[in-house]
Amino acid sequence: MFKQQAVPMIFSQVKQIRIPSINNILRAAALPLIGLVIFLGLWSVMAKNIDTSLGQFPGPIAVWEQATTLIDEHNAQMDKADVFYTRQEERNAARVAQDPTYEPKIRAFTGAPTFFEQIWTSLYTVLVGFVVASLIAIPIGIICGLSKNAYTAINPLIQLFKPVSPLAWLPLVTMVVSAVYVTSDPMFSKSFITSAVTVSLCCLWPTLINTAVGVSSIESDLINVSKVLRLNALSHVTKIVLPSSIPAIFTGLRLSLGIGWMVLIAAEMLAQNPGLGKFVWDEFQNGSSESLARIMVAVLTIGVIGFILDRLMLMLQKQVSWDKSAVLR
Amino acid sequence: MSNKHHLELTQVGIDFPTPKGPFTALQNVNLRIDKGEFISLIGHSGCGKSTVLNIVAGLYQATNGGVILDNQEVNEPGPERAVVFQNHSLLPWLSAYKNVELAVKQTPNGRSKKEMKEWVEHNLELVHMSHAADKLPAEISGGMKQRVGIARALAMEPKVLLMDEPFGALDALTRAHLQDSVMEIHAELGNTVIMITHDVDEAVLLSDRIVMMTNGPAATIGEILPIELARPRNRIELADNPEYNHYRHEVLKFLYEKQRKVESVDEHRKKLAKHNKASSKGASVA
Amino acid sequence: MASLKVLSSLKSAVKVLRVGAVSAVLTGSLVSNIASAEKLGWPEKEELKFGFIKLTDMAPLAVAYEKGYFEDEGLYVTIEAQANWKVLLDRVIDGQLDGAHMLAGQPLGATIGYGTKADIITAFSMDLNGNAITVSNDIWKEMKKHVPHEDGKPVHPIKADALKPVVDDFKSKGKPFNMGMVFPVSTHNYELRYWLAAGGIHPGYYASLEGAVKGISTDTKGLLDADALLSVTPPPQMPATMEAGTIYGYCVGEPWNQQAVFKGIGVPVVTDYEIWKDNPEKVFGVSKTWAEKYPNTHIRVVKAMIRAAMWLDENNNANRPEAVKILSKSQYVGADYEVIANSMTGTFEYEKGDKRSVPDFNVFFRYNATYPFYSDAIWYLTQMRRWGQISEPKSDEWYKDIAKQVYRPDIYAQAAKSLIAEGKAKASEFPEFATESGFKPAQKHFIDNIVYDGTQPNAYLEKFTIGLKSDSKI
Repeated sequence: MFKQQAVPMIFSQVKQIRIPSINNILRAAALPLIGLVIFLGLWSVMAKNIDTSLGQFPGPIAVWEQATTLIDEHNAQMDKADVFYTRQEERNAARVAQDPTYEPKIRAFTGAPTFFEQIWTSLYTVLVGFVVASLIAIPIGIICGLSKNAYTAINPLIQLFKPVSPLAWLPLVTMVVSAVYVTSDPMFSKSFITSAVTVSLCCLWPTLINTAVGVSSIESDLINVSKVLRLNALSHVTKIVLPSSIPAIFTGLRLSLGIGWMVLIAAEMLAQNPGLGKFVWDEFQNGSSESLARIMVAVLTIGVIGFILDRLMLMLQKQVSWDKSAVLR
Repeated sequence: MSNKHHLELTQVGIDFPTPKGPFTALQNVNLRIDKGEFISLIGHSGCGKSTVLNIVAGLYQATNGGVILDNQEVNEPGPERAVVFQNHSLLPWLSAYKNVELAVKQTPNGRSKKEMKEWVEHNLELVHMSHAADKLPAEISGGMKQRVGIARALAMEPKVLLMDEPFGALDALTRAHLQDSVMEIHAELGNTVIMITHDVDEAVLLSDRIVMMTNGPAATIGEILPIELARPRNRIELADNPEYNHYRHEVLKFLYEKQRKVESVDEHRKKLAKHNKASSKGASVA
Repeated sequence: MASLKVLSSLKSAVKVLRVGAVSAVLTGSLVSNIASAEKLGWPEKEELKFGFIKLTDMAPLAVAYEKGYFEDEGLYVTIEAQANWKVLLDRVIDGQLDGAHMLAGQPLGATIGYGTKADIITAFSMDLNGNAITVSNDIWKEMKKHVPHEDGKPVHPIKADALKPVVDDFKSKGKPFNMGMVFPVSTHNYELRYWLAAGGIHPGYYASLEGAVKGISTDTKGLLDADALLSVTPPPQMPATMEAGTIYGYCVGEPWNQQAVFKGIGVPVVTDYEIWKDNPEKVFGVSKTWAEKYPNTHIRVVKAMIRAAMWLDENNNANRPEAVKILSKSQYVGADYEVIANSMTGTFEYEKGDKRSVPDFNVFFRYNATYPFYSDAIWYLTQMRRWGQISEPKSDEWYKDIAKQVYRPDIYAQAAKSLIAEGKAKASEFPEFATESGFKPAQKHFIDNIVYDGTQPNAYLEKFTIGLKSDSKI
């Protein structure tokens, strides 16, 4: 097959490939579309039949309306922010006129964060937590994979902490962060640190375990190659261990990011830290007739972002993975 | 040749720890090899051929006795004893060129960048792989991979080239091609070679001496058969050569009469399956 | 999505960095604001974050923000909803929040060491009244049989006497009668207990389990000898919890009683206005260290909130509809306009359709609602003692000392005087600061007609049938 494709018989190739590819495209586009339409249909039918104490369960149309409302609210808030800054400049000028020693400064807008700002906060937090966790988990995973002794020493801890729910960590993290993270001019807010650390704690394990497994299951021949070549420890890790465990590490990373995203939303809900989780919780507490539709917008957004994050990781994995024949999904 | 032998194995034995106590895999292996000699190790599976090779490579430590190469005891792996592994063992994320280059970089010999490049290219040329230098291992056939594996080993300029069933996973045609290549290279470079094989024809065709191992446990050298066929050897001409057939016969006699191995049906099946899998893996991309 | 102003958020970030490029156009009022502020001194801390719980009585905070009163004081305030009273208090203690909308009992409880020990003070009382007790439809159906009617409508106030047969029935069947309140030191806890006890239903004592602080209980359940078992639920979750059947009734602030009516899941039976007319409710609490570090900031915060409270009560509640509009925004209370409007605009709907006029249901400024009276603090302390949260007898002096530590009318007075000087308020709208003792005259309007005199807490405790007396221990 390979050689055939390399032959520059373009026309025959096009002919061969085009027909199935149209089919494939149709199938790739149509099937999910059919799935979506069925889902929307079921959703709107079911929604009509579910009566909550906050009114009817929102159907697709109500949710769409709230999505546009959220966009409008965001825009309105941004306009408000503009006014805020002009007003602040005026106030600063007035104060300087009164008190020439005063050094005017512009303070950030104090309005409530909009839905889109909450999304951004969540994304930023999950990425920081995830990167921190990965920077810790991959080296430890490599050590565990390389040394049976290290693995035996660390494994009980991994098994002990892996199943712990993020929500159990949260109170401890909150207290520790507020006790340890004391600065007069904090670069990051405590709530951000708390969320990010909680995400990290839960992101650690899949990456750590998969890295350790990946490293320990390197083909023994490759290790022998390394020995015969007398690679030193560093080259052994960078030239043999890391590349050969990339697929396993990425499997772990993708799992971790997925878990991190779920954990973050839960942590934000529980700790009331800024982000999408807080948005959901606030709307739940509001209990207005629009709350459920707004929560649905958030739910769908959370899903879409989770999906996009996974796809991005997959793209990255495809980029760095040497095993191009492996089917990644 | 001088009195001092190039490579000496003296009273080599090895025990492996098992839960039931130490298991003696090898015992009293004595072998003197001269520079440039081509030695084959043959024997039934499990007889410890690979163990001998690994001890020479330095991947295993002998429990008794030892290995001396040019007056130096062998106790760790190193590029002067390059290994060609059964399953090529190329780093799958590096191109053929880069695989060889990694080995060249690890062998200290004060080459400049340009010389290094030339040396890598030279070795690829030697195994007729220049055309696929930029291909990843997954993009080339099993035979080609094994060629690159040999190029990598040769590029280290080893004193001894150790080959662990190098052609075991290849189909017969490819295998023949590679055997011819190895003979050519051996003729050209004159390396000392120790090769493990299951294949009687291969052993007779390539070797100066065939070392036949008894069955384990506590395997050791049974007989050593010098092959005094003139070089260069040609497989087609040799096919009707009575001397060649005599050597073949000697080896077969050792393996199937003197050291007949009784295998249960189960064991045989398992091995077959394993073998098939290995060869299909090697040939799949061809 | 293209219309999303993501760019403008970036723009605003850039603006934060752009210092000094100030427009020269100044309005006269801005100048005068700042001129008068000189006497008070500039705020030490300008960027502040305040917490609140989604209840209508957080209105002064929202109004001070939306009407620009904070900015008039040179304060740039962010207002953030909190999950529950515990989180809110913890965040004030650890400095994540500069101050918060608090239950009156929280600064007192924290100071004496009930729950979390910390020095919290208040210089501003946020409102009077505003709570109610709601029971589920099923309980109301049973209760209604024992409630006197006039013209086909139940006669208010409804006493817990009507609930007693229901509770007794539960007891005889061995079923627990569960009710919700919002926090162990919440007004709601004490009001619910007061109402139940007045009707002969024992709400349970807090066990005398001493912890780090001598004489203060560490029990937060309060179930000892209880006929009705009270448990904590955050206010916004009350209706959902009752809907789920976990509790049969609750005491909570607005809009969560009116929400039950709208949802058709329960009936408010009594407002706290009827339990104790014009009872003090929420306060604005800050940590003592914060207040000492930023005295000018604190006074300015109080100034802004006094203005907000004045605005809320101005012209006979004329601004209330606008206030409701602000509160119904999702970042504040977020409930539907109609639900919040019900109580905020001077009415209260009991049974569906039974809407009655209660003009003083939410009082933010009149009757000196914002002034931190010592006697208010002492009432809460007496209730803590009555139910065993304070497990040892305390002297009258002790009550007064604690009240003076926590309630800070001195700071309030400075804020008020500054407002008077600026012409934003009239002296007649405040107590006479020079002579005010901080003790209200004896108050009579309780549902059980017991008179409360803040100067004699121990004597007051003697008057209750159910509850610990001045010298009793559990």
